[in-house]
Amino acid sequence: MSKGLKIELEKCIGCNMCALICSGSHVGKFNPSESRINVEDVFPEPGEFRLNYCTQCDEHPCVEECPAEAIKLDEALGIYYVDKEECTACGLCVDVCPHNGLWLDPSESHAIKCDLCGGTPKCIEVCPRKVISRGE
Amino acid sequence: MPTGYTGKILRVDLTNDKVATEPTKMEWAKQFIGGKGLGAKYLYEELKPGTDPLSPDNMLTIWTGPLVGTMVPLTSRYVVITKSPLTGTFLDTYAGGYFAPELKYAGFDGIIVTGKAAKPSYLWVNDGKAEIRDAKNVWGKDMFKTEELLRDEVGHKYARVAGIGQAGEKLSRIAGVTSDITRNAGRGGAGAVFGSKNLKAVVAKGSLGVEVPKIDEFMEMAKQMLWKDVVENPDHAGLITDGTPIIVDMSQDAGILPTNNWHTGQFDGYLGIDSDALKTRVFVKKKACFSCGIACGSFAKVRDGLFKGSSTEGPEYETLGLAGSNCGVKNIEAVVKFSEDCDRFGLDTMSAGSAVGFAMDIYEKGIITKEDTGGLDLRFGNEEAYAKMPEMISLRTTKIGDLLAEGTLRAAKAIGKDTEKLVIHSKGSEYPAYDPRGSIGMALAYATSDRGADHNRAWPVASDAYGDGDPWSTDGKAAICHEEQIMKSYKWSMIYCDFYGVSDENMAMYYTAVTGLPADADWLKAVGVRVWNLVRAFNVREGFSRKDDTMPDRMATEPLPSGKTEGKTVSREAFEKMLNEYYALWGWDEQGRPTKKTLEDAGLSDIVGTLDYL
Repeated sequence: MSKGLKIELEKCIGCNMCALICSGSHVGKFNPSESRINVEDVFPEPGEFRLNYCTQCDEHPCVEECPAEAIKLDEALGIYYVDKEECTACGLCVDVCPHNGLWLDPSESHAIKCDLCGGTPKCIEVCPRKVISRGE
Repeated sequence: MPTGYTGKILRVDLTNDKVATEPTKMEWAKQFIGGKGLGAKYLYEELKPGTDPLSPDNMLTIWTGPLVGTMVPLTSRYVVITKSPLTGTFLDTYAGGYFAPELKYAGFDGIIVTGKAAKPSYLWVNDGKAEIRDAKNVWGKDMFKTEELLRDEVGHKYARVAGIGQAGEKLSRIAGVTSDITRNAGRGGAGAVFGSKNLKAVVAKGSLGVEVPKIDEFMEMAKQMLWKDVVENPDHAGLITDGTPIIVDMSQDAGILPTNNWHTGQFDGYLGIDSDALKTRVFVKKKACFSCGIACGSFAKVRDGLFKGSSTEGPEYETLGLAGSNCGVKNIEAVVKFSEDCDRFGLDTMSAGSAVGFAMDIYEKGIITKEDTGGLDLRFGNEEAYAKMPEMISLRTTKIGDLLAEGTLRAAKAIGKDTEKLVIHSKGSEYPAYDPRGSIGMALAYATSDRGADHNRAWPVASDAYGDGDPWSTDGKAAICHEEQIMKSYKWSMIYCDFYGVSDENMAMYYTAVTGLPADADWLKAVGVRVWNLVRAFNVREGFSRKDDTMPDRMATEPLPSGKTEGKTVSREAFEKMLNEYYALWGWDEQGRPTKKTLEDAGLSDIVGTLDYL
């Protein structure tokens, strides 16, 4: 079982509160482009929201493919994170991820992805429809 | 520069193909906040009185506000401010969705567009930069296609697009501005101002973000408020479960649901267009704007029948009333199709619904015939004919489509034959869906709204028809309109969504938390008084006065036939009494013009010299 966020997508209303608090807590300003969770509104066809985020999948091709070995294991949480000092922003991880789980930040200086806020993801607390959980 | 403001305004001169960035005038922002107030100040100072709204000289301005893009809930609206081609008044028209935060993240407090492009153009705004681009690939196309194509052109999958369909291109005075497919700055004909400038759209993408002081404390506060003051606030319960369609049953019960061009206040088919019909027949999912925990919107799709596959967000109450019952349409599927086509072609559903109801009325009276309607049998309730009308109006096909594109009042004037008396409007803006004959306060609210008849400046119907007030007593109605117009003026300057029942104290608290500037309830009220008087002065300068603060004759002369409003009218005397009380509360003269003292008290001494009558 993966260790990432659990999402009940059908409850999502597209408000972007997750992306606001994520960017606020990771980069100190409100900027969904720098959020580690990304909300897509796909209307009128097929008429749904999509949430892109790192599922912390077991296969983690991003880790395997990273030429700089910049995606590292957080041993305490048992999840992978991007070490931005070592990331060269080559974008290979973005290409190989089957879940649209990570992307380059707007300055294209490094890849960004969910790090579970050190164990207590802030997006969970602010989602007004309780779409996001740890799944326990 | 206080946080919350980007400190930059984008100036666009389409005639000379030039864009420039200038500092936001912070001395004005401190007096007028942003949104409605700040936009009104720029318009008042820069727009020459008497300007033809569809001439290159009109200003087309688009504004965010200081709270937009932050975690303050329900603050994701932008406002288009211009001189209205429908009414000739000041116009502020709003839309939620995602465009406003994107514009803010792209680096601008507002955009001021003047002139007229030599060829169809669009404006691309991205991270502090802007360029005027050729719109040849999208001109003539509807807004659904336009959004898709422009996102491709700028190379951003989620660039946000606010623009016009064919209705705006063809200068329909009831054309709105569509963003995020289903969100509309609909009222007053702002879409025609875009069209008159050869401006198809504004496309924004931003990654600059918005900073606030002490962000960790701020996020904790915003999170607490999102739960306590928004999600768990009992005032929001109906909006969370149903949204505005919940009002259909309330209006039916109160006898104020406009039906068959305002000839009755109850509709025998109301159960086919109410909130339960929406939920059981077409509902797909709840949909929020950016930063909103309420999600009043419903994405709806027709499952079978004539309109199978049509989808829209809503339809909202105003659409269900004006384009539903008022057209005798008793199936929500048809209203979904009507609403979808209004979004697609860029029409205001409210004015369009009213216009079609009027056309059906004069068709049934034999004043227009199939020769005028392109062969359509435009009877009340004929859904197949009705559903073709948004396209006909937008493309100006058929005689009636071309006439209605000018708005209902201009259409009636062109048709003649005493049809003008059938148009229910104030200042040329079609009434919203609350019949004053069962909510007398709405007659005053419509007459005194700054952009022509409107429900988003004062809403006395809440207490007099839906609450425990007296729907036919004039007592206190002027005071409700006065107080709510003040409140809405500062709320729209911040720019909050109407549906956030936020207290003045909390509104001030958020403003200070974002900008670091001092604010309290008294200051907000002072801003509201200043903004409303400034806008009134704008309209007075354009020649508006008491003679234009009117109620259509039918409200006084045609009693409603059934329900709680059976036999009811609004007498001329009652209307004039409310108007007198209202002017007195505002400190305006008997012609409805702000006095010198009123302007000075409101902090508007600097405009006294601009008004001839003083």
